[in-house]
Amino acid sequence: MTVETAIRVENLGMVYPGGVRALEGVSLEVHAGEFLAVLGLSGSGKSTLLRCINRLIDPTEGRVWILGEEITGARGARLRGMRRQAAMIFQQFNLVKRHTVLTNVLSGALGRSPLLSSLLLSFPAEERQRAVAALDRVGLADRSTSRADALSGGQQQRVAIARALMQEPRLILADEPVASLDPALRHSVMRHIEALNRDEGMTVMCSLHDIDLVTRYATRMVALRDGRLVWEGVPAEFDKSTFKEIYGEDAQPASNTGF
Amino acid sequence: MGWKDDEKVRAAVWEKSLARLQATALDAVLLGVTLLMVEFLVQAFSGRRGPTGLLLSAEQILDLLHYAWAAVGGLVLALLWNLFYRQVGSSLGRAWVRGVPEWEAPLEWTQTLRGWFTAVFIELTFFSGWLITELDLFTFLTKFGKAADIVRGLMHPSGAVLHEGLILLVQTIFLAFMATAFAIPIAFVLAFPSARNLTRNTLTARIAYTVARTFMNFVRAVEPLVWALIFISWVGIGPFAGVLALWVHSVAALTKLYSEQIESIDTGPMEAIAATGASALQVLRYGVVPQVIPPFLSFTIYRWDINVRMSTIIGFVGGGGIGYILKPRVDLGEWGEVGTLVLLIAGTVWLMDVISAKIRERIV
Ligand SMILES: Nc1ncnc2c1ncn2[C@@H]1O[C@H](COP(=O)(O)OP(=O)(O)O)[C@@H](O)[C@H]1O
Ligand SMILES: [Mg+2]
Repeated sequence: MTVETAIRVENLGMVYPGGVRALEGVSLEVHAGEFLAVLGLSGSGKSTLLRCINRLIDPTEGRVWILGEEITGARGARLRGMRRQAAMIFQQFNLVKRHTVLTNVLSGALGRSPLLSSLLLSFPAEERQRAVAALDRVGLADRSTSRADALSGGQQQRVAIARALMQEPRLILADEPVASLDPALRHSVMRHIEALNRDEGMTVMCSLHDIDLVTRYATRMVALRDGRLVWEGVPAEFDKSTFKEIYGEDAQPASNTGF
Repeated sequence: MGWKDDEKVRAAVWEKSLARLQATALDAVLLGVTLLMVEFLVQAFSGRRGPTGLLLSAEQILDLLHYAWAAVGGLVLALLWNLFYRQVGSSLGRAWVRGVPEWEAPLEWTQTLRGWFTAVFIELTFFSGWLITELDLFTFLTKFGKAADIVRGLMHPSGAVLHEGLILLVQTIFLAFMATAFAIPIAFVLAFPSARNLTRNTLTARIAYTVARTFMNFVRAVEPLVWALIFISWVGIGPFAGVLALWVHSVAALTKLYSEQIESIDTGPMEAIAATGASALQVLRYGVVPQVIPPFLSFTIYRWDINVRMSTIIGFVGGGGIGYILKPRVDLGEWGEVGTLVLLIAGTVWLMDVISAKIRERIV
């Protein structure tokens, strides 16, 4: 076995309770250590795919393996243990607004913390040190006692990245991590995710809809259209015709994308 | 392929007949009630006299209406209307269940039978209501004299009960406070199983939801006054009975408010916490509790406020507090003393209102 498989998705399908089909027959592999971008129009099923992988929602068809272990069908402590391996970063940051920045970062350690003291928001000293270090890495060590909602969007997303780091996962699932940020701030957040990938060796699967960001950060990319996987390749292979294939005939690449 | 289509067709047919049934049933009720109101008004204005020679009272007329015939008549009319809806336009029931069809949408209400029916229905309700509740403008405008005594008394409060009133006012406030305080932990625990968004996933959770909701709705349906009577015969007359009555009611009311708050939270943080591998309790503690604490506090203070007001009524039947000494004064017609007590209550309620509004502002 030359390339280790971090995530394996086989024939994944999802029909929401209302009857909306969001995914159909999606199969893919994410190799250990790569930065895989997931492309697609909004509504193409990117969030659904990512959420099925750590079982925030239950797919209606198909199977998913994380680091060789099947997560579909897993329950209780086993499911939680597998979730710990895959940290998630959300478009809306999803911090606990009324908690401090430090407590938000510490919550990344919940999976390995003793239940009772964690319910009292109390964590061991070494976890606190780890949290401060994680905050330091995203450049927010001086904001640890601020309330999370006092921070700007870009800062909140960096706190969310610190929370992911705190989790000590082997995978990062990021769902349009910079889509609700000012374009000028996008790279400052993406660079931190890139660092997790490059320096910590974490495998990243990240949905993005800005082609610029994809070509800049991803090592490989897949594209969804109407819930189906329609393209798979490396950024260098991506061109005008691929663009049309993914986004439809009517779509126009933004003028600055270069083709 | 074939059987699937078949099934779809069957499902569609079934859905259509169900909708028809609903529409007709709704119309039957509306038309039946209309017939009854018409009959009521005809009887009322026919000048018919009862065995005593007096004009029939509204209650007597209600007693002799032809309910069965109205039901049959309503059903027949509803069937006819739903059968000939193309000719006369959709009925109310049909419009409600299936929506207003396109070709009727541009019509004004005066251009549809449905519109006229609605107008007549509202008029009939108003006139029947006037008679049934025995509204009497003449008496209202000419017999003010007796009530004037009371108003005069209220405007000239007597100092005789001021001392006793103030002491019992303190009791009232604490009575309301204890009832609220004891209600908080129980309502807090019950609120989580009573929230729909937390109880969809497993069968156990759904059962817990049903049990908690049923219990809460039952308790809430019983008026605090009734609880007061129950507890008075249980622990005897006095403030303790009042505390218990308000407590039971507050548990139900707070559970409802708390759970509605839980249902409206942002699920994002919950998902983020769950994604870290946290357990269900940790998800509640980190993803739910921080979001609901401020509104919970504000509801709770508001509830205390309501309980102060309610305890006056509870006191009337023997539940302690200031209402308790109000009742004998009312019975004896000591309007000056009643005036003092009413002013004390009004002042406290106003003060509580202001304070609780200020605190609530700060919390959120
Ligand atoms: N909770 C939900 N309930 C019902 N339908 C949903 C839900 N979430 C997403 N969908 C639908 O599933 C499809 C895919 O959505 P999503 O995975 O959010 O796409 P993307 O993230 O690519 O924008 C869309 O048609 C969307 O409307
Ligand atoms: Mg999305």
